[in-house]
Amino acid sequence: MKPRAPAAEVVPNLAPMVDVIMVLLVFFLLGTSLDLVSQGVLQTELDPSSGPGAGAAVEIKPLVRIALADVGSGSGAIIYVMDELLGQDDFESLHRFLLDRRRAGADPENPVVIGAETTVRWKFVVKAMDAAVRAGFTNVQFAVSFRAGSLSDSAAGSP
Amino acid sequence: MTLNLAPMVDVMMCLIIFFLLASRMVAAEHYPVDLPWALAARNVESAELGPRATITVRRANGGDDEAEYVVADWDGERIVERVLLADDIRRLLTDRAARAERGNQKLRCVIRADRQVMYKHVEVVLRACGLAKVSDVVFTANAGRDPEEPE
Repeated sequence: MKPRAPAAEVVPNLAPMVDVIMVLLVFFLLGTSLDLVSQGVLQTELDPSSGPGAGAAVEIKPLVRIALADVGSGSGAIIYVMDELLGQDDFESLHRFLLDRRRAGADPENPVVIGAETTVRWKFVVKAMDAAVRAGFTNVQFAVSFRAGSLSDSAAGSP
Repeated sequence: MTLNLAPMVDVMMCLIIFFLLASRMVAAEHYPVDLPWALAARNVESAELGPRATITVRRANGGDDEAEYVVADWDGERIVERVLLADDIRRLLTDRAARAERGNQKLRCVIRADRQVMYKHVEVVLRACGLAKVSDVVFTANAGRDPEEPE
């Protein structure tokens, strides 16, 4: 009778598994790319001494008051600056106006208050804010309880 | 001689689980919302925003006139989407602001609003920020020129 050979040690071949895991790793690595983690932002610091959070309403006297009125069904916005009609959807003119103010020596810390009719689309409000930020104004405030038809109303305050 | 691949597999598994969870968390803060465009928007890392409450304002019922407010919450097992009422927003911000304050930090409210929602819907969140005394507000926007805008 032939002597039995000692049983060989069984080692599983992990190479295919490593291949699959590598592919998964690369997939998730790319899936959580920086594009997803980062986001574009416009920042503002609301005035804590005014608006509904404060004990009493404080009127903000803005350096620049921007008002946006809705053009039927939200397709556009009419822009008023300091109660003067500037135009419709012309945010470049608004930017130029604000830039002129800055060049004329306006303090960037002075508030720019944006008021909009309740039906104005958000994208137009952001464009107005964008124009102000690009012109160098850092203190952008938003009017709440803005009433349609009262564009010259100075009751605007930050939230 | 056989190379022992087991420790390598362990490490890779851990990495996969990390990226799997991370991608889900990131996605939860980034529901597909048609954000507005702004040239002045600067790209920041989410971590850079610090303690924050991200409120998504998105169109509801397939129309432009109605909106709903959504936050992402971790329920212990997974991230769930929670639709808030206007009053809930204030409560949420107040709670989180108090929690941040306990850690000597300041809460930031991140508003992710669809470009087509009406201002009145965003105003609700701004109002809640005022009531909860959260003054640090950030609006998310796509950085760049609006592709719909004529050159």
